[in-house]
Amino acid sequence: MKAPPPSSTALLQGTLDVLILKVLALEPMHGLGISRRVAQVTSGTFQVKPGSLFPALHRMEEAGWLNSFWGESENHRRARFYQLTQAGRRRLKEETSQWARISAAMANALEMS
Amino acid sequence: MFLWHRIETLWRNLAQKKSVEDDLDDEIRSYREMLEDEKARYGAGARAARLEALRELGNVEQIKEQVRDIRLGARLQIIGAELRQAWRGLRRNPGLSILGTVMLALGIGAGTVVFSIFQASLLKPLPFRDSDRLVQLWETRQDRGIDQASFSEANFWDVRAQSHAFEAVAAYHYDEANLTGMGQAEKVTAIEITAGFFHTLGVSPVLGRDFSYQEARSGWNSSVAILGNRFWRNRFGADPKILGKTVRLSDRAYTVVGVLPPGEPWINDQIYMPFGYRSDANRSSWEFAVIGRLAKGVSAKAAQADLEGIAGTLAQAYPKDDKGIGFRLTPSSTWVASETTRRALWVLLGAVMFLLLIACLNIANLLLARGTARYREIAVRTALGAGRARLVRFVMMESLLLSGFGAALGVVLAEAALQAIQTLEIHGIPRLADAGLNVWVLGFAALIAILTGVLAGLAPALRAPVGNVAAALRDGDRQTGSRAQGRLRSALVTGEVALSFLLLVGAGLLIRSFTELMSVNRGFETENRLLFSVSMPGSYWEKGAGKQFLDRFFERLPAVPGVIAAGAVSEPPMEGVDTGMSIDCVSRPRGSGPAPWAGWRIVTPGYFQAIGLPLLRGRAFDARDHWVWGQRNQPASKRHVMISEQLAKLIFPNEDPVGRNAILWKGQGNSEAEVIGVVGDSRERGLAAGPALTVYLPYGDAALPTQFVVHTRSNPLALVPAVRSIVTRLDPNLPVSDVRSFEEVVSRSVAPQRFNAILLAVFSGLALLLAMTGIYGVLSYSMSRRTPEIGLRVALGASGASILRMTIGQGLRPALLGIVLGGIGAWWLSRYIAALLFETKPFDLLTYVAVAGLLSLTAAAACYLPGRRAMSIDPAVALRIE
Repeated sequence: MKAPPPSSTALLQGTLDVLILKVLALEPMHGLGISRRVAQVTSGTFQVKPGSLFPALHRMEEAGWLNSFWGESENHRRARFYQLTQAGRRRLKEETSQWARISAAMANALEMS
Repeated sequence: MFLWHRIETLWRNLAQKKSVEDDLDDEIRSYREMLEDEKARYGAGARAARLEALRELGNVEQIKEQVRDIRLGARLQIIGAELRQAWRGLRRNPGLSILGTVMLALGIGAGTVVFSIFQASLLKPLPFRDSDRLVQLWETRQDRGIDQASFSEANFWDVRAQSHAFEAVAAYHYDEANLTGMGQAEKVTAIEITAGFFHTLGVSPVLGRDFSYQEARSGWNSSVAILGNRFWRNRFGADPKILGKTVRLSDRAYTVVGVLPPGEPWINDQIYMPFGYRSDANRSSWEFAVIGRLAKGVSAKAAQADLEGIAGTLAQAYPKDDKGIGFRLTPSSTWVASETTRRALWVLLGAVMFLLLIACLNIANLLLARGTARYREIAVRTALGAGRARLVRFVMMESLLLSGFGAALGVVLAEAALQAIQTLEIHGIPRLADAGLNVWVLGFAALIAILTGVLAGLAPALRAPVGNVAAALRDGDRQTGSRAQGRLRSALVTGEVALSFLLLVGAGLLIRSFTELMSVNRGFETENRLLFSVSMPGSYWEKGAGKQFLDRFFERLPAVPGVIAAGAVSEPPMEGVDTGMSIDCVSRPRGSGPAPWAGWRIVTPGYFQAIGLPLLRGRAFDARDHWVWGQRNQPASKRHVMISEQLAKLIFPNEDPVGRNAILWKGQGNSEAEVIGVVGDSRERGLAAGPALTVYLPYGDAALPTQFVVHTRSNPLALVPAVRSIVTRLDPNLPVSDVRSFEEVVSRSVAPQRFNAILLAVFSGLALLLAMTGIYGVLSYSMSRRTPEIGLRVALGASGASILRMTIGQGLRPALLGIVLGGIGAWWLSRYIAALLFETKPFDLLTYVAVAGLLSLTAAAACYLPGRRAMSIDPAVALRIE
């Protein structure tokens, strides 16, 4: 069986989505940039591999949260940039509040025991 | 907005696949280049940077595949690709594909035909508003064993006045009339209806108006008429200015005031006249059919209770006519198909589903055999990471494709078969002409196609070698047929044989029942008998005009060559209205139950000879006998009747009935008459109904039998022109109609039974054929696998005969198990067919044994060829293969 257990996939996917949305909320960015920024903001906890990044980006674009355009990277290469749409911003808000709720609840639960 | 985005995306993914793919390539390349830049920036050399970048990027093809998988419409594309692949697979195996398609086409086609008939006659609602509230009302006299009779006129008016359960109640009375003044006289159906009849049905005229209540009240028989749609089309060329015109019916003029919309045939091809309330309405003659529309929110049960109350008052108020009266309601759905017809159609639908199931099992078997050939291909796919779901889909796609082709061909076959059946105009299958490939039927065909596709693919899909890839890859195509696989295929054969057993037993029982029905003692002779009717208008029933016509006709007829005997009767045998009376001997011993109810027929003296009823005692009617109501107050000895044998035994047990007096219309007219003769029993009410009790009354001026029976020397229909010319010469105003041979009547009366038996026989024949292919396929496959083993046996000295025995034994085992299981299943299911059987037990041992024998023989025959092949195996060759 090559696929990881479904529970961890779901968790990872959700986490990756919200991280990408958060990172793109500041400015449009290309794939590698997103990957590096995610590593940076999570202090290296999440290393986003291309194998997860591309499917996530394309899925989110098809869902209408992101749109993309071809632009020029910092060292003058042609690169595909992603930016948040209105729907993406709404989504980020929802996800953020949900994460806040979950992490509060988790922290609470773990402290109590 | 959001939806639009999705549609746009989907469109781009499907239609501009290339540009989407290029875009992805570009994106990944640019990613890689930027990675290289980054590595170089941190000091790696160009070569090292590229290697590091590649390592971090990982498997590019896999990334692309993952991106493709999440794309909108990805599933569609995969399915499309799988369909193409399945199509290629099928093309590589034309034999199997064609065989499978034909099998499924036969199954689905048969299913579609049966369902289209089923849908037209059972599912399609009546073309009346809220037809579930429409009911038919009947009188009953449970004390005399009569549980369904028409209404008397007076009882109808009382029910209409007193009941509260109905929104509307109406009565009608079937009659015949001669349409004159438009060329040759023609007999038509004229129906007298009470005002509100069409309102009760929920039909309003397309032209003109309905009868008004004033019209009905102004007197019996106002001279207005409404035309049925077909009547209007056929006889008046759909004349749009028909309103106000005059129609002459049996010498009376009627003004047309309305035309009905097209609809069910039985309200379409007739003319309607109103009849109104009269205070002196008859209470003893049951002549009126009554329909009612239940008031909103009133259940049939509540209406029944309401009617019971009315029955109580009527029985008290009119003890002479209404003693023991009750009422019964039947739903309007039975107007189209009777209970028996419904049952028969259900049985046929069930049978055809069994046939389809057999076809499914057979396809599964074929695909399994082929699946083993593809074992390796599937193993490779598994090794390359195809998930189980995907493999199942891949295998099933083939069976679905097959069933799709099968359905397409099946629908074409169904259309052809249905047209053929419709041209036969099989009597007794309601709305057969309406059956067709409408949306419902096509939907049904699509549904069963998908179901059969999934079902047929299930076994092969589950057998896909997911678990043990390594073994599958190593063994490849050679060592494919595992033992489990062989067991599965044998189980499929067992299932096929068991289902075939069910179908064969069903067909066998119906055929046996049908032969019983046809060979039953009919009483009358049906061979070489011509039947026709001559209808005489009301004026012929006065002053002897009609009797004179009859006498002159029977004087002239014997001169026609080929005529042996001729007579006339008031109701045509097997097809007539069953006019009846209560009859008894004069002094019935107390406590011996109620008087029997017997049908009465008015006959001419020649009738018995013409129809071949034997005179058992006494004498037949002759010129001395007159109509029993001919003269008031004549002594009983002047009134003569003849009775049928069983009736004689019932009312005159242990004595000679000839010369004794009987009371006719007991409880109503109470007139005595002398029995002068006894004739044999006959199946007056149809072959299945049993011998009827009948009283024969002599004809007279006011009692005219209008149904003629002529016994001829050869083909009865050859005499039709001669008969017509005699009638026209005697009286040009009298139309000859309903010309047919008696055999035709009998054949028509059993048409539904014959249709069911033939259809089931065809289904079971197909089932047998499929089962045979199944057994053959499994055995020859297993023999080819066992070639080396058999070669070894031969080398060690096994004789050809013993090899043949072994092979046939192996092939027969699953078949015999199927026969046992089928026998149990048939025994359990046959109760559902019992209602359709005539003098045949559902567990008819002979049928079961015959079916078991037939199936065993078929199985043995299917085993023979592979057995012969096994026998001729050359050990030298066989062992070398190993």
